[in-house]
Amino acid sequence: MNYIVLVKQVPDIKNIPKDAWDIEKGTLKRALLDNVCNELDKQALAFALSLRKQLGGEVVSLTMGPPFAEEVLTYTLSVGADKGILLTDRKLGGADTPATSYPLAQAIRKIVKDIFNGNDNCLIITGMQSIDGDTAQVPPQVAEELGIPHIAYATGFSIKNGDLMVERITRRGSETVTPQGYPCMVTVTEWTKPFYPSFSRTRWAYSQELYRWNAEDIGADSSRIGLGGSRTDVVRVFSPQEVSTRNCIFEENLEKLLNMAKEAYYAEPASTEETAKAKYELPAARKGSYQGEVWVYAEQEGGEINSASFEILGKAIELASSLNEKTAAILVGKNVNNLASELIAHGADKVYVVEHELLDHFLPMAYKKAISELIANYKPQIMLFSATPLGRELGPRVAYSSKSGLTADCTELNIIDHKRGTQELTAVMMQTRPALGGNIMASIITKNSPVQMATVRPGVMKALEPDKSKSGEVIEFIPHLSESDLGVTITSSKLYESTVDLKDADVVVSGGAGLKSKESFERHIPPLAENFGRFLNQKAMVGASRLAVESGFIDHSHQVGQTGQTVTPNLYVAVGISGAVQHITGMQNSKVILAINKEPNARIFKVADFGIVGDLETIIPDLIKALNSMQG
Amino acid sequence: METTKDSALNTIDVLFIGAGPASLAGAIKLKQLLNENGRNESVVVIEKAEKLGQHNISGALFEAEVLDELIPNWREDGSKFVNKMLANEVKKDEVFFLSPTFVIKAPRFLIPPYMRHSGDYAVSVSELVNWLAGHARSLGVEIYTGFVGEEVIVEDGTVNRIKLGDKGLDKDRKPQSNYLPGETLKARVTIFGDGSLGVLSEQLVDKLNLAGNRNPPIYSIGVKEVIKLPDNNNLGSNYAAYFMGFPNKASTFGGATIYSMGKDLAALAIYISLDWRHCDLDPQRELQLLKSHWFIERLLYGGEVTAYGAKTLPEGGYYSMPNSVANGALIIGDAADLLSTKKLKGLHYAIKSGILAANTAFEAIQKQDFSVHTLVKYRSSLEDSFVGKDLREAKNYRQIFSKAGRAGIYLGMPVSLLHKLIPMKLTTEPDYKHMTKAKLNRRYEGGIDKLTAVSLSGTHHREDAPSHITFLNPQLCTTCGEEYQCHPCEFFCPCQVYRFAEGKMLLSPSNCSHCRTCRVKCPHQNIQWRIPEGGDGPKYKMM
Repeated sequence: MNYIVLVKQVPDIKNIPKDAWDIEKGTLKRALLDNVCNELDKQALAFALSLRKQLGGEVVSLTMGPPFAEEVLTYTLSVGADKGILLTDRKLGGADTPATSYPLAQAIRKIVKDIFNGNDNCLIITGMQSIDGDTAQVPPQVAEELGIPHIAYATGFSIKNGDLMVERITRRGSETVTPQGYPCMVTVTEWTKPFYPSFSRTRWAYSQELYRWNAEDIGADSSRIGLGGSRTDVVRVFSPQEVSTRNCIFEENLEKLLNMAKEAYYAEPASTEETAKAKYELPAARKGSYQGEVWVYAEQEGGEINSASFEILGKAIELASSLNEKTAAILVGKNVNNLASELIAHGADKVYVVEHELLDHFLPMAYKKAISELIANYKPQIMLFSATPLGRELGPRVAYSSKSGLTADCTELNIIDHKRGTQELTAVMMQTRPALGGNIMASIITKNSPVQMATVRPGVMKALEPDKSKSGEVIEFIPHLSESDLGVTITSSKLYESTVDLKDADVVVSGGAGLKSKESFERHIPPLAENFGRFLNQKAMVGASRLAVESGFIDHSHQVGQTGQTVTPNLYVAVGISGAVQHITGMQNSKVILAINKEPNARIFKVADFGIVGDLETIIPDLIKALNSMQG
Repeated sequence: METTKDSALNTIDVLFIGAGPASLAGAIKLKQLLNENGRNESVVVIEKAEKLGQHNISGALFEAEVLDELIPNWREDGSKFVNKMLANEVKKDEVFFLSPTFVIKAPRFLIPPYMRHSGDYAVSVSELVNWLAGHARSLGVEIYTGFVGEEVIVEDGTVNRIKLGDKGLDKDRKPQSNYLPGETLKARVTIFGDGSLGVLSEQLVDKLNLAGNRNPPIYSIGVKEVIKLPDNNNLGSNYAAYFMGFPNKASTFGGATIYSMGKDLAALAIYISLDWRHCDLDPQRELQLLKSHWFIERLLYGGEVTAYGAKTLPEGGYYSMPNSVANGALIIGDAADLLSTKKLKGLHYAIKSGILAANTAFEAIQKQDFSVHTLVKYRSSLEDSFVGKDLREAKNYRQIFSKAGRAGIYLGMPVSLLHKLIPMKLTTEPDYKHMTKAKLNRRYEGGIDKLTAVSLSGTHHREDAPSHITFLNPQLCTTCGEEYQCHPCEFFCPCQVYRFAEGKMLLSPSNCSHCRTCRVKCPHQNIQWRIPEGGDGPKYKMM
């Protein structure tokens, strides 16, 4: 078995120098950031090296980028890769994900031919996503271009009777899958501690010649690469500050404060651009640049629709009404017909029910094939997926196979008219998303595509209240599938007990060094979390600052911040946390932030919506009392 | 994770420890000599930072003539660095005395030449290092970052090998799944350029007793901010100013500089000798206090701090220098206590010492003799160079201020003008011995707070790594607090590594910027500082 590891050199967003911010534009000067190997690609490399240890073979690392990206290849060699290939050409620059995936796939074909001497018994391994683009689209699209299966979210492997068993996580648990054939793409999430380069290996790595290939070397079709081969256009880059400003309200009356916090908790996210702009109406005399229905993929697993699907359905209805079009939900699976009524109740005009024996479990190749057939038949103008793990696995393949652009992880969608050069676009979907770890925002428009596609960040759009009296059309569709479309075999799967991490909590109550002792932390924080949970009738969890963790108040799995977890709950309560930058980056995107601190100048208040100043020993019991009295 | 069994990869002809200006200059010179003579001995530099320049900081007003003999025609090399450096030549320099309320500008004729800066170049030493490394690599020097030298192995009085630090240990120093034991490098000559309070060079001095009867080394701390200024600022370009007085007490030896690094960028650094008396002196706070002075505030008006860092400066001078030569080993730069206390400059000494060490190493290669017998030439060439001359001349300069005691600069300043006339060796005591129960009781809370400052240094250490800072006797911290009615380390550490709560000292080693002030200033010498895992530490870009 041989291994091709896809690596990417990315800007180091863990360490953004202050002067890298362009204060006027609110954007980042990327040139001032260090370049590092994408963290998850280090995990992928460790995966390949661990496999090589057991199965033998050769590890080849591949990257596409400017000439200085060779640094990242030297790094892979120093950790253990055998060869490094740099795909570099000005013609490849400015590419979006399909225009990146295609040349990478071409390079993989050349590696198999030239380096593995035609032996395609190999795995292509890479990180789930890059920290800069954060789209997670390239790996599934490379797999789609190569027509090979893809195992996403891999967390480990075992070898049974010579067969490779890959463990992967799903939204609801984990499963073990085995490829039906090779090559196969495996994308790796955090599963181990990345390997270190040794001195001797590093010295060897620097002495190695890298392979340098250009667009011609890999026989790339020039219409499918670079800016010209891209299917999306970035039309605007702006500062995330434009869409969020906080002003801390100090209120001594705790009940009053809790009421305001609760109101803010349930308030719709103040999307400034949307409120500023009137709803788009397609002028009667004009035709939109795209035609057709507005579709959403209704994500179902185990006979249950993911609530995120109802959110994007709510958005789709709004977009469709601007376009005078119908909204349709796509329901894929085995025996899922009964779920159609739920989608209609949530506002879908139509539900396409795509059923097949082989669609019982979610497998991206088969699902993609079914949906692509449906798209080819009914030709929608917009298709939305939730940016859930499943949506980010499926969406890119569907988009690639239907030759459409896809914008990942959008937080805003609008219909606009747009002028591109001499071309006038009418009623197209503008897709806005955070990039570079949320440090910049980008607005994107689809081009050279039959369908405008986007994945949408869960929790951002609002679902309509279900109305059982609504009616809609159900259209059944039977795709053409065979066993070979599955690509992998699921050998076992298990559902998690509820060992959710902080990312899943609606409310996070974190304690900091201000609590002084473990005893005080334990006495105050868990009960406060519990009471907030009960007050809002939401799931609340306990977090902590780094100082609290270092002081031994609680273990590291609760740490919020740069070196802990990044959380975006609807309510974040910071107790006795001064607000070091390292902490703030881990929680600043929470919807509502309440800070409690005895120091009125504490920086935490600068990012908070609500503040309480006072001695924690008295404030917290009072707060718990207030929460209790206001329940129900 | 992968190691090769090929021991040739761990065998090196000349190994430089630490990719600072001293080592890189030495590596360039040596490789030039080898190349010119058709030899291909390997020249390797190891560096603990993840990337070049990240652990280099200096208040760098650079006397660049020293480059002339290293990189001929460097002024015309066309690089971005050189062009920027040439554009940032100091053309106007001033010296001020600050009182809390007024300012006196020193008349030109009164300013001793060593306090003048016109003709110097304002550079970022992080950038200088990257530029030097580019030249070095193009000559064939190998530079490997992220590797920490942990132990000097001495056999039969000869430095034979350097053991590198382990990687992938957990908090209790137990191997994690990715544990990588440190390899041992074998070199014919090892040249120690590991900087002020360099861990390896100190080991070398200890193991081979190179300290002799020198004065105990003494240090100062430099705390620096890079400040982004508005377009029309009060500082202007090509300007450098030196400040004495406020906020220092008379007994505290120190000063500050501000210089422009282009039309909208300023560097501000405060220097305080570590023999200060006050147990609650906080250099980061002193810097903020300095910025609150109306005169400084006016100069830096509209500025925003974009970077922060700290380092120690060896200021013992001539009588504190260790013997910098041993069998198979040389010590260069700050590690050899080569610093002009009068100028508070070490950069040009570092580069010169690197060049001289390279000359000697080359001679040793030619003779195939790496013993003291040949290497001692380095010491004599250093003595003969401008470095030796300067240092001998200023041998008692800094010591006068220590001797002046509470009268400090008011006595020290005038007497120091006569320092050349003092023939005998003035001795000094280690810095920590000067700590007293006296307090400054500063109340000023403005400026940037320490944790923000730490974040601007970009420093980071793997959270689950073993703490690189430990106490010999943790109990002592409690007693120390009772003795001083405060914990001096909470104050003197510029990066908030120490915090006393719950009756014990809590450490945040992740905040550490590797200045090592704690090693010098802990009144009980209770703090042990070892080099953390390779790659960890500050991430300076413009320092």
